Amino acid sequence: MTSTTTELKVSAFLAYKFTAKGNRGTTLLTILIMALAFVNLMFTTSVFDGMGDATEKQVIDTLYSNIVIEPADEEVYIANPDSVVKKIINVPGVIGTSAQYVTGATIAYEEQSGAWSIRAVDPDDERTVSLVPDMMVEGEYLSKYDRGEIIIGTEIAGGHGGSLEHTSLGGVVVGDTLEVTFTNGVRREYRVKGIFDTNFIQANQLAYVTEKEMESVLGIHDMASQILVKTDTKGEEDRFLKQFVELGVHEDIKPWTVYAGIVATLTQSFDALNALTGAIGFFVAGITIFIVIYVSTVSKRRQMGILRAIGIKESIIIRSYVFQAVFYAVCGCIAGLVIMFAILVPYFIKHPMVFPMGNVTLLIEQKAAIMRSIGLIISAAIAGFLPSWRAVRETILDAIWGD
Amino acid sequence: MERDEQDTIIATRNLSRTYTMGKVQVQALNNVTLDIRRGEFAAIMGKSGSGKSTLLHQLGLLDTPTEGEITIDGVEISGLSESESTMFRLEKFGYVFQEYAILPEMTALENVYLPAMALGLSRDECVTKGMDALEKVGLVARADHRPKEMSGGEQQRVAIARALINEPKILFADEPTANLDSTSSKQILELFRELNRDIGQTILMVTHELEDADIVDRVIWLTDGAVVERAG
Repeated sequence: MTSTTTELKVSAFLAYKFTAKGNRGTTLLTILIMALAFVNLMFTTSVFDGMGDATEKQVIDTLYSNIVIEPADEEVYIANPDSVVKKIINVPGVIGTSAQYVTGATIAYEEQSGAWSIRAVDPDDERTVSLVPDMMVEGEYLSKYDRGEIIIGTEIAGGHGGSLEHTSLGGVVVGDTLEVTFTNGVRREYRVKGIFDTNFIQANQLAYVTEKEMESVLGIHDMASQILVKTDTKGEEDRFLKQFVELGVHEDIKPWTVYAGIVATLTQSFDALNALTGAIGFFVAGITIFIVIYVSTVSKRRQMGILRAIGIKESIIIRSYVFQAVFYAVCGCIAGLVIMFAILVPYFIKHPMVFPMGNVTLLIEQKAAIMRSIGLIISAAIAGFLPSWRAVRETILDAIWGD
Repeated sequence: MERDEQDTIIATRNLSRTYTMGKVQVQALNNVTLDIRRGEFAAIMGKSGSGKSTLLHQLGLLDTPTEGEITIDGVEISGLSESESTMFRLEKFGYVFQEYAILPEMTALENVYLPAMALGLSRDECVTKGMDALEKVGLVARADHRPKEMSGGEQQRVAIARALINEPKILFADEPTANLDSTSSKQILELFRELNRDIGQTILMVTHELEDADIVDRVIWLTDGAVVERAG
């Protein structure tokens, strides 16, 4: 057996004995503190990741789907959008498309008015790319041949406790008539057919009419401002983009991430907050382990002196304390994950946090869990090393017989 | 002369140890020159503060002398590094301390075979040698007991078994009976005597009990840090 293997074996043996056969109360309490430190590290991250995930889902499900095809440079509309859709609809993984007109308009109701975006869609196609049709809180979604009818988000309607109540129309209900003035000057009256609530402030500021209605307003036919494309997976948009280009789509193709500036901003802010809370969390966990190991080395000072006297190397003794600290940290990480998955995640699924981007639950990313576990273990190892290293610095005689 | 050198396991020449306590210098050992023969059972005796334990600590490589030379088993130990010194102690020495210096978290057997484990022996070898050592001290039946389940005398015998596990050249004992009742003390001293007689174990023991002189081969008497008398 090599001397390193022997040393590791003896260190592990000592660590096992000190931990398993020592004071169980101390061991359990230390593991509990480590578990709470881990939960503390993971909780903030999971909330931030949950917020990011909720925002991403909302952007995809209620605003832009996975891929947006826009007119080529210097073009206002995509001409003959059906020909574009035909090129891509059979690509494996593409599960829906929706060609839309998008225009600005001033919407007025009684004394209230405001400027919002209006999308014009084929309701049947829209259902393949968006979840808005499923989020009606009043009335119904549009039908393919509807004319003179509009659906609006709760932030436009008002009266639904939205964040932008002060700029809303102040409490529109289904059946009310809205006066809509489009950017080209056309003014029409629409009956409110439905009101939707996506829980996402941006999506709730949209209004929808049918494609045919908008074509009559704009005086154009067989055009589109954008085509939304739904894919069966998230995160592989670049692959689809490449395929679409290869299939002869010459328009401007963009993944949803281009439109999700809010996600990027959130992520950057969260990363900074995460780094800060993480650093504090690691420090607190490290200090905790340091104190536990320090107290242990002080109480075992004489024992350590005797071990050194009988020929047990200092490195073996130090390593045995590092192993103990790592054991506490590993158990803490496992216990922490159990607390997260068995208690906190189910709790927040049942009672989600309400944010402007929607209902947020905890999202435990595997990478985040692994990184924080490793961080905690490294902190613990350092915190275990320092007091034991300090303890073996004193002479054997002082350790055994000193004050 | 050659035969004498081969028989000598410990040789000190002009050994001194001075401690600095604040501004005061205390000479704990003063120019000690002595030889210990292989297989000898020697007691270091003297009044409190005479330097008994200090001498044992120098010879047992637990402390470093201020001056002088120590040669143990042919090795001049002042040239040893810290880690060499540790290995030297592990391979060649056994220690028995005044207090029952065994680990409370381990069983008697585990306490005993820990130094063998540190030498790289397999678990099976450790257990076999550990049980042999426990047999020598008459504690095979207590192998799986933890210290808190044993009497002071039994714990001290476990410490002796641990000291014997690596078949040391020298067994150092620092007042091994000081904390024991008279019956246990007698058993421990008899055990030392048996080990010395049966396996030729060299034993160097610090004691302040005058009657212990009767059981040893030789007494090294210290006064004010100097060897003043040797009795057979």
